[in-house]
Amino acid sequence: MKKQRTAKNIFVNGAISPEKIAQSIANHASKTDIGGHSIFLGQVRADMKEEGMVKAIEYTAYEDMALQQAFEIREAIFAKYPLTCMHIYHSLGEVKVGEICLFVFTSSKHRKAAMEACEELVERIKKELPIWGKEIIDNENSAWKVNT
Amino acid sequence: MKILAFGKIAEIVGNEVLIVDNFPNTEILRGYLYHQYPALEHMKFTIAVDKKLTSGESHIPMDVEVALLPPFSGG
Repeated sequence: MKKQRTAKNIFVNGAISPEKIAQSIANHASKTDIGGHSIFLGQVRADMKEEGMVKAIEYTAYEDMALQQAFEIREAIFAKYPLTCMHIYHSLGEVKVGEICLFVFTSSKHRKAAMEACEELVERIKKELPIWGKEIIDNENSAWKVNT
Repeated sequence: MKILAFGKIAEIVGNEVLIVDNFPNTEILRGYLYHQYPALEHMKFTIAVDKKLTSGESHIPMDVEVALLPPFSGG
C-alpha cells in the first residue's frame, strides 16, 4: 500500500541550531538504502541598508496556508524525483545575522536526485510560501525583505 | 467577514485582523481597501481566498478566510 503522507509542521521558533541539523543527519544512519544527501542552509546576512546594518530578520507567516502549500510542494517533488527522504524547516520569529533560518534536506539512493530536488525545493519555498522577513536594523528602523 | 493582514500590509492597516462587511469579489474588496488605506494602492499584494491565491476578479464565498499577502520573502 502506498504510504499516505500528511502535512508536517515546517516551522521552528527562532534560529535553527547546528545541533538540530547534526541530529537530523545522524537520524538517517539507519536508512542504509540512502547513498547521498543534499542540504541547503539559509543564513541571515548582515546587509547594509540606507538606515544601517541589518542585525536580525523577524519572520512571520500565514501558517495554515504555508503548511498547505509546503505539503503540495513536497508531494510534487516526491513525485518528480526518486527520493528516500525530504525535510524542510523554516524559522519564525527573530533570527540574528549569522544564524540559520532555512534548512532543506533531501536524500536519495544516488546523488543527482537529492541535489536537483534540494535546489528545486529551495526555489519553490522562497517563491511560493507565504512567509515574510522583516529586516531589523536597530530599535527604530526596519525594512521588509525582498526576495530576488 | 474577517480579513487577515500580513507583513507590511498589517503595518499599513494597523492590525492583523480586519472585520468588514461582506464583499462579493476581490475587485470590490480591493476598491474598498484602496479607499480606506490609500497607501495600499501603491503596493503590490495578492488576495488569498480560502488559503488559495487569486488573480483578477475572484468570487468570495460567504464565511471563508480572506487574507492580504504582500510579496513573499521567506528563506
